Amino acid sequence: MSKPSDLVQGTLDMLLLKSLALEPMNGFAVSQRLKQVSGDVLQVSDGSLYPALHKLEQEGWITAEWKTSEHGRRAKYYSLTRLGRRQLEKEADNWARLSSAISRVIKIKEA
Amino acid sequence: MRPEHWLFTIPLRMRSLFRRAQADQELDDELRDHLEQATEQYVAKGMAPGEAQRRARLDLGGIEQTKEHCRDTRRVNRIQDLMQDLHFGLRLLRKNPGFTSIAVLTLALAIGANTAIFSAVYAVLIKPLPFKNADRMVFILKKNAARGWSRNPIAPAEILAWRNQTEAFEDFAAYTESSCVLTGAGEADEDPCETITSNLFPLLGVAPYRGRSFTSEEDKAGVPRAVILSYGLWQRRFGGDENLIGRSITVNGESHAVVGVMPANLSHLYASPYGSVPGMWVSGIGLAAEHTSNDYFGIARLKPGATLAQASMQMDTVSMGLEKVYPDLHGWRAQLMSFRTNSSAATRPALLVLIAATTFVLLIACANIANLLLARGAGRANEFAIRSALGASQGRLVWQLLTESGTVCFAGGIIGVLLASGLCKGLAALAPDTLLRAAPDLTAGTANVRVLGFAMLTLIATTFLFGLAPALQSAKPKVIERLKEAGRSSLQSPQSRRFRSALVVSEIALALVLLVGAGLMVRTLAELIHVNLGFNPKNILTLRAPLSGDRYKEPRSRAQIWEHVVASVEALPGVEAASVSRGLPITGWSGQYFTTADNPNPPAGQVPDANYVIVGPDYFRTMQIPLRRGRGFNDHDAQSAERVVIVNEKLARTSWPGQDPLGKQLRVGDDAPWLSVIGVAGDVLSQGADGGIHSEMYVPVGQYPWVQGPQHLVVRTSASVKPESLIRAVVEQIHRIDKDVPVTDVETMEQITLESIAQQRMVMALLVSFAGLALGLSTLGIYSVLSYSTAQRTREIGVRMALGAERGRVLRLVVGGGVGLAGLGLAIGIGAALLLTRLMTDLLYGVPATDPLTFVGVSAVLGASSILACYVPARRATKIDPMVALRYE
Repeated sequence: MSKPSDLVQGTLDMLLLKSLALEPMNGFAVSQRLKQVSGDVLQVSDGSLYPALHKLEQEGWITAEWKTSEHGRRAKYYSLTRLGRRQLEKEADNWARLSSAISRVIKIKEA
Repeated sequence: MRPEHWLFTIPLRMRSLFRRAQADQELDDELRDHLEQATEQYVAKGMAPGEAQRRARLDLGGIEQTKEHCRDTRRVNRIQDLMQDLHFGLRLLRKNPGFTSIAVLTLALAIGANTAIFSAVYAVLIKPLPFKNADRMVFILKKNAARGWSRNPIAPAEILAWRNQTEAFEDFAAYTESSCVLTGAGEADEDPCETITSNLFPLLGVAPYRGRSFTSEEDKAGVPRAVILSYGLWQRRFGGDENLIGRSITVNGESHAVVGVMPANLSHLYASPYGSVPGMWVSGIGLAAEHTSNDYFGIARLKPGATLAQASMQMDTVSMGLEKVYPDLHGWRAQLMSFRTNSSAATRPALLVLIAATTFVLLIACANIANLLLARGAGRANEFAIRSALGASQGRLVWQLLTESGTVCFAGGIIGVLLASGLCKGLAALAPDTLLRAAPDLTAGTANVRVLGFAMLTLIATTFLFGLAPALQSAKPKVIERLKEAGRSSLQSPQSRRFRSALVVSEIALALVLLVGAGLMVRTLAELIHVNLGFNPKNILTLRAPLSGDRYKEPRSRAQIWEHVVASVEALPGVEAASVSRGLPITGWSGQYFTTADNPNPPAGQVPDANYVIVGPDYFRTMQIPLRRGRGFNDHDAQSAERVVIVNEKLARTSWPGQDPLGKQLRVGDDAPWLSVIGVAGDVLSQGADGGIHSEMYVPVGQYPWVQGPQHLVVRTSASVKPESLIRAVVEQIHRIDKDVPVTDVETMEQITLESIAQQRMVMALLVSFAGLALGLSTLGIYSVLSYSTAQRTREIGVRMALGAERGRVLRLVVGGGVGLAGLGLAIGIGAALLLTRLMTDLLYGVPATDPLTFVGVSAVLGASSILACYVPARRATKIDPMVALRYE
């Protein structure tokens, strides 16, 4: 499976879970949201977005439902499950620990 | 994964598996929805609709690939793919009946042979022995290093001393073998039987099927005798009569109370070459500390934690004390064997050679199929290129190819396992008695779970063995090159050519090893068949008729009835001569110590011994054993006349080197009368065709030697009369004289000779078949590689010929390539064979394991067939028309 090159390994899952934690969305909306929120810094290609969503669904972290959108078309909406929420907390914790550790290292003043 | 998690995931997997179409439809819808939205967005940014659509598609990075990636997340793809691959594989196999039948048949033969041989290996070497604490059970014999003897029966003196004066054993039982004659209702019946100590069956942990085992009271001599019947005899002679227990039957003319019946299938106990499965067990062994006759076998159970070495050391100490008291026991030491060793010693070398041989056949078959698959894989390169362009990963293609080879393998395996049960029966027909006793299931041809498990493992290993390399080779995604070549059949890569060449080389090497093994066995058998037996086995009928009961207590009465029988048999038409004996050539050994008048007191341990044969007057004439010196026996050699003996050349040579043996004196036992040597007979192979020559002495029936008297009748028919045709007439003559005399072991001397080399015959027959198969397969292998590469080089050869290469040169070019491979294979094979055939030394006779004639001969055969296999495609190459070849493709 192709991986988004700019993304730290494994963080795509967390980003998707976080996005869906806010509200249920379809795949296109998720991709738009990621671009908006990150100010186009995180370029998640659409080609890797869908396999990632399907993987989360297969893991039981998100669940999908066919709904009619505001534009009146039927679309597949993903939402977070109870398991997914727990997973998100776990990954967010990990991320916080990792990023604070890394920033501490980066901030060390050169002698 | 946690169980809680499964609650979510299992329904999802089920849905993907069983509602696949719906899931795929939803995937399509979802992606289409995405594309529409993305396109709309691009249009909203001011892009032309066509361009917007293209951008949206590009963003998705290939719709089909993305779909495939999404499907991959479902985890059940493996199963769906498998079904799909199976479908596809079967269709392909049906389309290529030639490839399919060759591959399936080859595998079926190889797996069938492997499974059949493994059934025997399993039964003899692996299957747990059905005894309590089988790992602590030991079989006790003795050996004499100074005389170079081993696996000898033991004496009561030793049994009692070893039992009472050592600490290593929990229990120690003994038995002796004899033959028992059942008389009473119906025809007399003779069966092998054992006189046993009462603790034997409890020690073995074998409970009687009916009734009880013996009590220790019944071990004593002089108390009323009891008998336990085998299941077979109970059924055969007594129709499984439940009321038999407690009644008396007549065994060897004496009344015995039937106390029990043993369960069927005790034959594994009797797999050693020293036993036949008894029909009954008799009580009253009466072991006495002063008896030194070597007629007994010991079975003991070690104490937990005690080792064979400890037991052996303790027993040796006891033996050193014993030999001071009993000179007969000088130099003898206990020989302990685990049950497994004992029951498998006779057949182990043969089985190991055979399982190695079938493994080789299987490897050759795998190499061959791998080769065919590689050729096919190269032909399907375009198919794979297109599939990987459509998003199939390399792993996915490898799986597909493995599924296809697995299908072939599975078909071959099923036919192979079916074949195996037939092959088992064939094996049983060829097998020597020792193997049949150790592996009674063989005759039935029933496969057991473990054997089937082995076959399954072999199958899986085989699939990977021949399927994986070609699959990895073929599934390499070389999309661009492939599609550029667009339909032109491509040259195989140097890597793949090297791999195929390596396969052919190893096939030839393996085939050579098998051929050498087969060749050595053929030479062995030729030696054994042409060995000079010392007598003429043609046209001789033999049978055993033991006399027992009150009527034959007197030696005179025994001699008289034999005289009668011989006279009336000699009167039959077609009979040239008849005589009696106790002991027949080939069949074994009844050793007796003797001393000569020239050396009456040899030091203990150097007392000579010889095979002791009791014979009637015409024995030498009947068997056609030449008399080298002196005279044969005649009717005047009666009880009242001078005691006489005839010795063989070996005995004369060793006892009286450089002297005239005639008139010399010897005796058997310290207080026996002296016997004068009146003749010297030619040496006879007394212990089987491969048993070598031993000292022998012959004593005349008429002088009532002290052992029980003759048992065998030997009848020589005239050259035109088959000995088998006289069986009925001869048996009738015996029963006309006494209907209670049992007649058993009716065989021709030629049959006996053949039986003595049954193991070598079996190994030879099997190795020759395996080697033949290997020869065929490896020839096919080199042929297929060469014809494939010739076909690939059609253009090149066409160019060469257009530029003026002669046909001879082209022929040399192609043949040269094949011969190079064959030569390398032969060289490696010879090296391997030199190492491996040493392991079969035990099975060879009269030929060294590195016999140059065999090595040269089989190399020539394999070389010649390889050259032939190269020549056919080479001829085809010379027929190439340059014009056609250049236009080709």
